[in-house]
Amino acid sequence: MKNAMKGRRRPWLAAALVAGATTAMTLGGCSSLAGQVGVKPWQRELLSRQDMQLDADPLDAAIDEHMYFSKEASSGGRGFGGGGCGCN
Amino acid sequence: MQLKADHGAIRRQLMLASCSLLGVATARAQQAGDAAAPVDTSEQTFESAISYYHEDGRITAIEPMVSLHSDDGNGTQHTLSAVFDSLSGSSPNGALPSSKPQTFATPSGSSLNSTAQTYTTASGQSTTSVAPTYVVDAGQLPVDPKYQDMRVALSALAQQPLRAFDRWRFGGTLSWEHDFLSLAGNAGYSRDFNEKNTTLSAGLNEEYDLLKPIGGAPVPGSDYSLFQKQGNKNKNGVGLQLGVTQVMTRRWLAEFNVTADRFSGYLNDPYKIVSILDAQGNTTGYVTEKRPGERLRRSAYLENRVAFDRTTVTVAGRYMNDDWGVHSSTLEANLRWWNPDHDRYLQPSVRWYRQSAADFYTPWILASTGNYSTLETADARLGAFHAATFGLKYAIKISRTGSLPGQEPSEFNVRLQVYRQDADQKRANPTALQDIELYPALRAVMLQVGYRFAY
Repeated sequence: MKNAMKGRRRPWLAAALVAGATTAMTLGGCSSLAGQVGVKPWQRELLSRQDMQLDADPLDAAIDEHMYFSKEASSGGRGFGGGGCGCN
Repeated sequence: MQLKADHGAIRRQLMLASCSLLGVATARAQQAGDAAAPVDTSEQTFESAISYYHEDGRITAIEPMVSLHSDDGNGTQHTLSAVFDSLSGSSPNGALPSSKPQTFATPSGSSLNSTAQTYTTASGQSTTSVAPTYVVDAGQLPVDPKYQDMRVALSALAQQPLRAFDRWRFGGTLSWEHDFLSLAGNAGYSRDFNEKNTTLSAGLNEEYDLLKPIGGAPVPGSDYSLFQKQGNKNKNGVGLQLGVTQVMTRRWLAEFNVTADRFSGYLNDPYKIVSILDAQGNTTGYVTEKRPGERLRRSAYLENRVAFDRTTVTVAGRYMNDDWGVHSSTLEANLRWWNPDHDRYLQPSVRWYRQSAADFYTPWILASTGNYSTLETADARLGAFHAATFGLKYAIKISRTGSLPGQEPSEFNVRLQVYRQDADQKRANPTALQDIELYPALRAVMLQVGYRFAY
C-alpha cells in the first residue's frame, strides 16, 4: 500500500538541469577561450546592476525559503537549506 | 591633451569595473569614477521587511526582519541579520478526520481524560481544572487549535578577499524557539577565473539542533494514548555545496550549484501522530510518527539572470531527492519590469513545485496490520503533492537628499504572494469516511512590505 502512495520520479528535470548547466558552462568556457564569450570589464554595465546580482533580494529570498521549508520536504539549492527552524 | 584625458578616464573605468562583479558598490564606483578625486567605493545597506502570512483556517505568522550589509568596495563584506517570527492559529496534528468527534491532548497534556477534576491547593483552597485536551468535531481535520510559537534568529556573514581573484567567507546562525534551538556555522571559498567571467565556489555547513518539545519528545512509533515521552533530543547536519557562476554575455549570468547534506538524530516532528483505522474506516487509536534516524539529501540548482534595458528576467530550477524516497522538482521565474525613468518596477513571479511521497508516508494505518512500530508518518509535508505560487511586487526608488552621485537610491517595496498546495496520489477513502475530505488543499497568502537604503 505504501509503495502505491509513492510518487513518480522525475529524473528528466535533474538531467535537464545538469545538461543545461553543462552546456551553458561549456559554451561559456569554450567561447571565452575563443575570445567570443565572457565579457571584458568595461562591458559589465548591465551585469553590475543591482537586480543582476545573485543575492539581489536577500530578504525576499529568506522569507520565501522559510515559508517553503515549513511546508515542503525540500529546501536549499541557492545556499544551504533547512535548519534554523523547528517547523519541519 | 584630449587623448591623454580619455586614457585616464578609461583606465579609471577599467580599474573600477574589474574590482568586483558582486554588490552595488561597483555600479556606484563606475559612475563616480569620472571624478578626478580618489573614489570611496564603500557602501552600507540597511534592509528591513515585515511579512504577514496567513493560511486559510490554519496558521498566521508575522515576521519582521532587518539586515545590515557593509561592503568596502574591495571585496570585504559583512552582513548582520535578525528575524523575529510570531506564529499562532491551528496546526494539523497528523490524525485523519473521523465520522465521530475525536479527543486529543495538547502537547503539554498527559491524558485524554477531559473530565473536570477538583484539587486542593497548598493554601487549602479548592480549585477545579480540566486536563489540557481539545475535541475535534466529526468530519473536521484534527488541528491543535491553540498553536503558538515564537522564533528569534540572528545571523552573521563575513567575506574576506585573499588575493585579487579569490576570497573566503564565514557565517553563523543562531535560532531560538521555546522548544527548539539551532546553531549553524558555514565556511566557503570562491575563486575567479577567465577575467572574472567564471567563479568556482565550495562551501561547508555544520548544524546542531536541540529539540525541547513541550511535554517531552514522544517515543517514535508508540501508542499515543500511553504518552510515552522522553527528554530533550537533538539532531545534527553537515552539508557540502559546489558551485559555478558563469558570465555568459554582457546581459546573461548563470549559476549552477550541487548540494548534499546529511542529517542524523531525532528527525521526527514531536507533535505529529498517525490514525489507526479498522477495515470500515473507524478510528481505533493513534500512534506517534516514526521517521528514520538519518536523511541524505542531494540537489542540483540552476539559475539564469538576463538583463535588458528595462527588464530583468530570472529563471531558476531545482531538482532534489533524498534517501527517504522524496523527489522534488521546482521551477520559478520572475520578470522585473522598470519604468522608463528606472525609478519604479513591477515584478510578477510564478513558482511551480512537485514532490513525491516519502517511502514511509501513510495517511493512516490499518489496524489489521497489527504492527505500528514500523516507519510511518502522516505528515502531509512528506506526502505527494504539487504546489503553485503567484506573486507580484511593486517597488519605488527614492533618491535621498545628500546622497552621493551614483549611490543606490532608497527602495520601498510591497510584495503579495498566493500559495496553493494540493495532494496527489490520494488513497481511496474508507467506507466510513466516504463523504469526508481527507486531503484538504492548503491555501495561503503572504503580504510583505520592505524598505532598503544605502548610506
